[in-house]
Amino acid sequence: MNKLYIIALTGLLVQSVSAQKLDRSKLPKPGPAPAVAFSDPVSFKLPNGITVFVVENHKLPKVTASFIIDAGPRTEGAKAGVLDIMGSMLGEGTATQTKVQFDEAVDQIGANVRVSSSGGSATALTRYFEPAFLLMADALRNPEFPQASFEKLKSQALTGIKSNARNPSAISKRIVPALSYGVSHPMGEFATEKTVTSITLDDVKMAYQNNITPSRGFITFVGDIKPDAAKVLTMKAFGNWKGTQLTLPKLALVSKPSKTEIDVVDMPNAVQSEITVTNLVDLPLSSPDYHAVLLANQILGGGADAKLFRNLREKHGFTYGAYSSTGSGRFQAAFTANAAVRNEKVDSAVVEFLHEIKIMRTEKVSEQLLQSAKNLYNGSFALGLEDPARTAGFARNIVLNNLPKDFYLNYLKKINAVTAEDVLRVSQKYFGLDDTRIIIVGKKDVYLTGLSKLGYQVNLFDTYAVPVNTK
Amino acid sequence: MKLKLLLASATSALVLQASAQQVKFTEYDLANGLHVILHQDKTAPVVAVSVMYHVGSKDEIPGRTGFAHFFEHLLFEGSDNMKRGDFMKIVSDNGGRNNANTSQDRTFYYETFPSNQLELGLWLESERMLHPKIEEAGVRTQNEVVKEEKRMRVDNQPYGKYIDVISRHLFQGHPYRWQPIGSMADLDAAKLQEFQAFFKKNYVPANAVLSIAGDISIENTKALVEKYFAEVPKGNPVTKAEYVLKPITKEIVDTAYDANIQIPAIMTAYRAPGMRSRDAKALNMLSTLLSGSGSSRLSTKMVDDKKTAIQVSAFNLTMEDYGIYIALALPGNNTPLNNLLADIDAEVLKVQNELISEKEFTKLQNQFENAAVSANSTMIGLAENLADGYTFHAKNTNAINEELKEIKSITREEIRAAARKYLNKESRVVLYYLPKK
Repeated sequence: MNKLYIIALTGLLVQSVSAQKLDRSKLPKPGPAPAVAFSDPVSFKLPNGITVFVVENHKLPKVTASFIIDAGPRTEGAKAGVLDIMGSMLGEGTATQTKVQFDEAVDQIGANVRVSSSGGSATALTRYFEPAFLLMADALRNPEFPQASFEKLKSQALTGIKSNARNPSAISKRIVPALSYGVSHPMGEFATEKTVTSITLDDVKMAYQNNITPSRGFITFVGDIKPDAAKVLTMKAFGNWKGTQLTLPKLALVSKPSKTEIDVVDMPNAVQSEITVTNLVDLPLSSPDYHAVLLANQILGGGADAKLFRNLREKHGFTYGAYSSTGSGRFQAAFTANAAVRNEKVDSAVVEFLHEIKIMRTEKVSEQLLQSAKNLYNGSFALGLEDPARTAGFARNIVLNNLPKDFYLNYLKKINAVTAEDVLRVSQKYFGLDDTRIIIVGKKDVYLTGLSKLGYQVNLFDTYAVPVNTK
Repeated sequence: MKLKLLLASATSALVLQASAQQVKFTEYDLANGLHVILHQDKTAPVVAVSVMYHVGSKDEIPGRTGFAHFFEHLLFEGSDNMKRGDFMKIVSDNGGRNNANTSQDRTFYYETFPSNQLELGLWLESERMLHPKIEEAGVRTQNEVVKEEKRMRVDNQPYGKYIDVISRHLFQGHPYRWQPIGSMADLDAAKLQEFQAFFKKNYVPANAVLSIAGDISIENTKALVEKYFAEVPKGNPVTKAEYVLKPITKEIVDTAYDANIQIPAIMTAYRAPGMRSRDAKALNMLSTLLSGSGSSRLSTKMVDDKKTAIQVSAFNLTMEDYGIYIALALPGNNTPLNNLLADIDAEVLKVQNELISEKEFTKLQNQFENAAVSANSTMIGLAENLADGYTFHAKNTNAINEELKEIKSITREEIRAAARKYLNKESRVVLYYLPKK
């Protein structure tokens, strides 16, 4: 149950010979690779469906608990924004305490208690942890939904939408999924002044009934607490809680554009434009491609040593940083390559993005690059274990994604077995070039002419992803 | 009065015993003046290697601003034994992470590695200190990169300019009047020799702290530190310029415009004391009392009760010589900015006139204790906090263990006194921060 795993970081394994005279022209050799030790958290399940993980760590006199409701992507439709408001309403008072009393109770013990539409968290010094955890449970189980709070939060949500109207990075975060998934897909939809205005308190209560429930719930305790104490506390807080039975939604796959297109959103106040090259991918963690995709993405845009950063920042100075990421999981996710670039260099930067993606798709990466990426993953695995919550994340991922029990035990083995051929194959499969979207949010007058010369269809959209007719 | 204060602080220290962990460390100087701090923790096979240089934008001169931050970029450009661009490659090739950041007062460079790469971390940092490449090619590229950083972090950022405007007003006569990012025109105009001279002057061992935390053997690490850093030349002694500011005697009112916003903001800012003073800590507590959490005074009054603000915030930015105490609000329901200012001022007046309640005082102490316990949970965080203590608390590395006790010793009377001493209307800046049409 609480088995300890010890893995050697073979990717980093080079034996050391030290104590020679210092020759600065040679990199020092590493010492023997350290063994990475981690153990499964203690876990148990409540009769109402909540799964609990406990990672004991008594280094600091504090405990953190998080509660995650695994509802999957949820469609809000004409009421987009209702889940956020519902989540905020959970912090506006309960059946037995007003918001003022609740906040006072949390602050008085110096705790942090958060609740949202997908769960909550409580962090406190060990001596105050039980009241902090019970406060979180009270907010989740017994929200009062006062009308006045609802009006306040709705007004704040409307102001929030307005306040982001001229923020290119916020607009880009909204536009990219909206164009990729479509605005009626749960991943692509977003709140507007219209949808938020239409939300009623009854909508909020309905959203609560449908979403805040022990079903598919996961509680993770990390820190200065014994598993037995965590169990007693969980039973006390959530043992008799009942709620809607959740099932994960089944979503149809969204197709890619047939030909690469450039989608432009004009923001005349922008001094930098947000460029995103993106396509949807279907990559469950159990996919045989998974580990190869991690490495391919690392080589393309995983950090300051990857191709995109070296090209767009270090070679050309177009941007402060250029990165890529490749989503994975049970639902369709996105590959994105992104940078904020000064308006004058948008067309040149797009060319460089496509150039680097093309190389990934057509040329085998060198053994040296591949080994570097593996080394980074081996190192990151070790560094990640500095956070005691990491192993709880492993355990939760295994359950959520229906993975073999030894998924993380074999993780580095699989990473280290990836070949250059694997990287080429998955790059072709997951990093689009001829059927992708290049989405640009910024001051279009500066770069539109240059972009038009690249030979792709250029479409204009407003900040709500509605096509703009240029004729 | 004095005696009474002392008694009060002794009592509260007894009642509220600090429960954060005691951080053990070893420290010493090399012959060249480099201060070394070592902390052992074998929980995970990780080591953090860091160098804190006591150089920030405060050490720049008018007309040549942005140098310290520019060096944060430049010192990744390679060394006599490292090709341009290889620094980050070597780190990631060996499973590590690295970064750096710059403030008004110091620059912090660090790597985190699996613990078998300690020696590599020492090689990297010693190459950087001993003979970094400061050449035209690197300067040109990083000049462009820094401009993009400014566009992203300041020019394109909603509410990105207010600290700059406020600092110019509060710190006339002190380098705190410009921001670490500096002036792009200054960087464009700077000659290579000026960068080289800035390096020679400020990046000497005696102006730096090498702080290492993680899965290390102390004795072995000492030998390795000697091996890599002993040959760094001592250089000239660093003298810090001293600046004495004239008091502000008349309220300064200004308006700034921002093309990236639609919701205006009202801001008020006061010159606060430097980070070593007890008053700085008292002001930190005061800002938490006013806006640090759900039950704090300004939030409950303006956001929850009157609903005149969608956001209200008070915070104390501490720096070495001075600080900036800022309170700001964004209006809700079209509330005029002056009404928000009046509400903020009324709360400031209240803490100047009345002692905060015992209950609020306990609350603050619990909140600060929680924060203190969480502050040292990673190796890189520990390395930085240890170096901070030595650099900014008169070479007292143990400040890391005394911080919470000191905060807990601050009395309600001291909080009231700090509010009276520093939060005066006639010596503040009021900034109307408005959308640019």
